[in-house]
Amino acid sequence: MSQNSINSQIKLSRILIYVVLIVFAFYYLLPLYVMLVNSLKPLDEIRGGGMLYLPSIWTLDPWRAAWSSAQIGVDPSGLKPYFWNSIAMVVPAVLLSTIFGSLNGYVLTKWQFKGHGIVFGLLLLSCFIPFQIVLIPMAKLLGVFGLAGTTSGLVLVHLVYGIGFTTLFFRNYYAAFPTEIVKAAQIDGAGFFRIFWRVLLPSSGPIIVVSVIWQFTNIWNDFLFGASFADFDSTPITVALNNLVNSSTGVKEYNVHFAGAILAALPTLVVYVVSGRYFVRGLMAGAVKG
Amino acid sequence: MASLTINDLHKSFGSVEVLKGINLHIENGGFLVLVGPSGCGKSTLLNTIAGLEEITSGEIQIGDNSVQGLHPSKRNIAMVFQSYALYPNMTVSQNIGFGMEMKGVEKSAREESIKKVAETLQITELLDRKPGQLSGGQRQRVAMGRAIVREPQVFLFDEPLSNLDAKLRIDMRTEIKRLHQRLGSTIIYVTHDQIEAMTLATKIAVLKDGCIQQFDTPYEIYNNPNNMFVANFMGAPAMNLIEGNISKSDNNYEFQMKNSKGDVVSLPIHGVNGLKDYEEKAVICGIRPESINDLDLVSKSQSVVREVLIDVVEPAGSDTFAVVELGQKQIIARLNGNSQVSAGDTVKLTFDLSQAVFFDRQSEERIR
Repeated sequence: MSQNSINSQIKLSRILIYVVLIVFAFYYLLPLYVMLVNSLKPLDEIRGGGMLYLPSIWTLDPWRAAWSSAQIGVDPSGLKPYFWNSIAMVVPAVLLSTIFGSLNGYVLTKWQFKGHGIVFGLLLLSCFIPFQIVLIPMAKLLGVFGLAGTTSGLVLVHLVYGIGFTTLFFRNYYAAFPTEIVKAAQIDGAGFFRIFWRVLLPSSGPIIVVSVIWQFTNIWNDFLFGASFADFDSTPITVALNNLVNSSTGVKEYNVHFAGAILAALPTLVVYVVSGRYFVRGLMAGAVKG
Repeated sequence: MASLTINDLHKSFGSVEVLKGINLHIENGGFLVLVGPSGCGKSTLLNTIAGLEEITSGEIQIGDNSVQGLHPSKRNIAMVFQSYALYPNMTVSQNIGFGMEMKGVEKSAREESIKKVAETLQITELLDRKPGQLSGGQRQRVAMGRAIVREPQVFLFDEPLSNLDAKLRIDMRTEIKRLHQRLGSTIIYVTHDQIEAMTLATKIAVLKDGCIQQFDTPYEIYNNPNNMFVANFMGAPAMNLIEGNISKSDNNYEFQMKNSKGDVVSLPIHGVNGLKDYEEKAVICGIRPESINDLDLVSKSQSVVREVLIDVVEPAGSDTFAVVELGQKQIIARLNGNSQVSAGDTVKLTFDLSQAVFFDRQSEERIR
């Protein structure tokens, strides 16, 4: 009897858990559903009400418009040029901040110098400085460097902001990496960069993925720096999306706005889907033996 | 192959001095074991020889050359680490060949050396595996292979066996000794295991708090310890250190202590001249368990028989160890493996004091 009642209790709690999970999953997926469905409808259908219905006429026109012909500010250029602006900003910023972060982590754990703790503490602190505080000094600095309004300028800003986080990731990862292996490599005659390149980096897969996903998501989604420091030919897609949605002329093309928003979110989704499983693995790395 | 000489080596980390004037010399082909409790500085000493730690002052010579300022890879040494420290991303053969690769040795020559070493250590079938796929003993062999392939003048071993299980540890110990005999190489070996030290070494240096307590052959370390620390550290079970008084009767000295009932037990001493300064004073007597036996073992001429109360009996197969109370201390006697004594018995044991050593109570130094 008791065996049965325990079994049914377990079953009941399982069912409860699944119900709660499904409700939450539904709750979270609903906005995505609304965006997707409405981006595939003609505008009339949306204005007719019924945001939650499937389209009666399926159309890709809103996507085409959002990509290449929608009015962004004064130009009917679509999001296309801004998408490439974002790519041109994100790729170097992610790569550079990951490389610098891994080098910092390597030095801070395996080549410790006097005051390494303070340096790490300061780098950590940089993770907590609010963006707004640095806007004006950063604008001044970019002007001094001659980088104001350029993609390189934005790369620099994101690089500086990202190094704190990437250093934190790599430092903690390398702290768990046996120092004896580095010593063995020294005896084998490998130098500073050779040890990094041949011994540490090949073992850093999970943490590189963590760093890339984190940096990519943050930099791609950044709005404030993009809005503050970019010119027309360096404006990232987040700012362009805002301009698209806030265009004051003509009717509000909700279907185009939905399509544009999905377009702007797509790269981070792709990065996560492609490497997400490493992300969880990387965050857990070192937590357990093996 | 080369000798190793260390002159007055000091090493400080900030204001903490961890090595306080180390002097050592091991001849070409010798096997030097640095032994001591954790925190005694033995691993630091090894790291300074390897060049992984800088020294504060003093000199290290490998062969006839000072290695001051030389990079670890230029010192003609090879090191085997406690954690094996294999490169996790490389195969066994890449691990062994990494040093040669860094030196720019050609691939074909590299492969030949790797093959030769792999055959010596019987790991040929493991060459294409990654360290993660190896057992502890196999990793140990690979780590040794990586050291051997360098053909160094001096091998450095940093507690290489402490991560292995008990049985494998004994096998690998024999293996290391065999390797030493075959290669005839100079080896510096760090361990906290005094049995490893005794079985492997041609010379042992016992360290404590950054000072060498004694530097001698295993035989001398075991039989003629310089002080109480060395006496207590080397040997298992440890040497019995009993407090008692020296008294003189008929021109002979006697060591007197109290047994568990409070009665005085006295043992005659021969040939320790230094004791003349300690008449009627308290000293510490060090006597090894194997000098306290049961009666049926052939009694030696210098042995005396005394009655004691057995507290605990610990059979160990070939021997039976008995804990008895004497001089307000638990002391251990080594009895015959067939001995039938049991706890609570009062039995007669023979005490052989020809090997006994005496220590000053304050300084803990040997009285000779």
